[in-house]
Amino acid sequence: MSSLFGALSIASGALGAEQGAMDATTNNVANVNTPGYSRLRPVLTEADPVVENSVTYGQGVTLQKIESLRDPILQLRIQDETQQQGQLSAYNSALQQTQVQFTSSGSDIGSEISNLFSSLSQLSTDPTNPSLRQSVLTAAGNMTTVFNNTANSLTQQQANVDLEVTQAVQQVNTITGQIAGLNSQISQLQGVGQDASALVDQRDVLIGQLSGLIDVSTIRSDNSLTLTTSSGAPLVVGGQSFALSTQTNASGFQDIYSQGKDITSRLTSGQLQGLIQVRDTVIPGVISNLNTLASGLGNALNTANANGFDLIQQQDGTLSPGGDIFSGQAAAATFKVAITDPNLIAASSDNTSPGSNGNLVGPAGLSAVQNASVVDGQTPTNYYSNIVFGVGNAVSNSSAELASSQLLLNQLQDQRGSISGVSLDEEASNMVQYQRAYDAAANVVTTINDMLYTVINMGTLTG
Amino acid sequence: MSSIRVNPYPMPDLLAAIEQLQQQQTNATLELATGSSINKPSDNPAGDAQLIKINDLSSQVDSFQRSISALSGQFSTADSTLGSVVTVLQRAITLGVEGANGTLSDTDRQAIGVELKGIQSQLLSLANTSYQGQYIFAGTANTQPFVVDPSQNSGVRYAGNAGTNSVTIGAGYQLQVNLPGSQVFNGPGADVFQAISDMITSMQSDTGMDTAVTELGTALNYVSGQQAFYGNALNQTQSQQTYLSAQSVALSQQQNTVSAADLTAVASQLANDQTAQTGALDAIGRLPQTSLFDYLK
Repeated sequence: MSSLFGALSIASGALGAEQGAMDATTNNVANVNTPGYSRLRPVLTEADPVVENSVTYGQGVTLQKIESLRDPILQLRIQDETQQQGQLSAYNSALQQTQVQFTSSGSDIGSEISNLFSSLSQLSTDPTNPSLRQSVLTAAGNMTTVFNNTANSLTQQQANVDLEVTQAVQQVNTITGQIAGLNSQISQLQGVGQDASALVDQRDVLIGQLSGLIDVSTIRSDNSLTLTTSSGAPLVVGGQSFALSTQTNASGFQDIYSQGKDITSRLTSGQLQGLIQVRDTVIPGVISNLNTLASGLGNALNTANANGFDLIQQQDGTLSPGGDIFSGQAAAATFKVAITDPNLIAASSDNTSPGSNGNLVGPAGLSAVQNASVVDGQTPTNYYSNIVFGVGNAVSNSSAELASSQLLLNQLQDQRGSISGVSLDEEASNMVQYQRAYDAAANVVTTINDMLYTVINMGTLTG
Repeated sequence: MSSIRVNPYPMPDLLAAIEQLQQQQTNATLELATGSSINKPSDNPAGDAQLIKINDLSSQVDSFQRSISALSGQFSTADSTLGSVVTVLQRAITLGVEGANGTLSDTDRQAIGVELKGIQSQLLSLANTSYQGQYIFAGTANTQPFVVDPSQNSGVRYAGNAGTNSVTIGAGYQLQVNLPGSQVFNGPGADVFQAISDMITSMQSDTGMDTAVTELGTALNYVSGQQAFYGNALNQTQSQQTYLSAQSVALSQQQNTVSAADLTAVASQLANDQTAQTGALDAIGRLPQTSLFDYLK
């Protein structure tokens, strides 16, 4: 079977194989900066030899396929960590905004509470002094205003987070639509035995983006891919995507629905989960604590004021018992000073002594509230300091978790890079190698050509 | 290939490192600028919570100090007013002793009587002294405490009440800040207005002068005794002021312990971070600018 024509066919096969290998290298070099690109590697195999009369003749080289180098398990770990990071990052950045409200400024809630009691203490030195009385009302007004502002900012932040939820859902839908499209193309190509690695790379990038948004579980079958949330709500099944939708819930916020089912509370990671955690748990918790503080403090001061007598004379000439100083204390947002007349501060402890300060300094009086356990068993300042501790601690913990998740993700990306990333040095050396092999094969063709010429001329000589 | 393939693109790692270094430098600069290691709750949640409590305590100490300043004016006024009462009473006694001297003519005694009446209205005015619009001897009433009332034996009626106020000038430390006028001027057997009125009557009628002088003497001693209350109160507030200043210092020390930035450590950390950042940037700069491709010419 060995013949010059056979050798010629081996050499031209080699030319084709090296050219194919060169194609892979060229594509790698071209995509050196493409995100998510996995480098290609030509798979060259020796062609099946032929045995003739106990002599084995090689049949040259075949370019079996060009494979793309990726580690699916690593890809899954990257997805998981991206979900984790998406959640932490959304959670942390929202909390960073929340804690601004609780940063000591001299006019934060804690300081304004201290200022109110300070003004009451000044009033006790001269209980009928109109300007000292007025400063009590002013301090009370400043305190309720900062309560209102803090609560309103938190509510505003909650609304902003809600808007981000809607946007994230839209992004999820866009991405799942794209993935479904790619899935169809990939299965078509693979169905006819073609290489779909370029599309697979694109799909991996999209799955990475999706993982940042929502908890994705990937199920791979032969040439199709199914994505669901970790609780099983379908996102993409083969060539079909399942859009998530939002519906306004009782609190006026958007709940997330999949196929008519509310999955809001079943998300476990990704940006959406972080946002929902902040919107539905963290901010409501802080607001509820502020409400507790406002009502504890407002009720205690109202009660204390009612224990004394203000400067208003009743018909019988005695002083009237103190009324409410505050109203709306059930919520931090509505907490306000209910009186405008400074004479309504009940400084006196008996109804015939306008100059008495007994209800300012007495054990059941206004000043005593400062150090009394009137807010959920704690003093107002201690309760407030616990709110601040809670917020600060949540930020500090999630920052640490975010940093370590980032580190882990970097390491995983490094690992991915070491498998799939394009190294120009390597490509250059491959190129040289393929070029030299191509040159050699071409030389072989020339030589065989010469030999054929010799054979043909040999016939001419004898004839 | 037997060697481990490395990630050909270390750029994201380097960028992450630089970002972290920049974050640290921002924090360090903030610490240096504010001198405080706690600039937001998450910097040290427990420390920040403690700071809020310390700030509240320190605001209370400030309030006590301001109360003391406000009170000292009142105490000094009361003290000097009662000092004047004593002086005036002494003059009345002198006049009484003079009047008791049998050599005086009726006209002379009339003249002394006129001076004594002047002293009487002076005493009334002193007893009605106010400090910043508030009568200091009215008890806890808000009215002029002593009014002329001819139906009274002494000719003067107490219109205030017997109430007293106390002001908190320390944690759990309340100081009584006033004496009602009835206690100061209408002491049992030592009524200032009764004594001066009796003296005037004696002077006019030239009888019982010695008794009237004795009565004035008793009233004078009694008022001096009352004056001591305000002197004591002043002393007490002064020593409390000293204590509060010390407490204020202690609280700011606590504040520092919790939150003060360790400037040396922060500054050197900042320098380290800057060096590290320069290093990281340098590393990026030194990432191979060339590849094997450049040599295949």
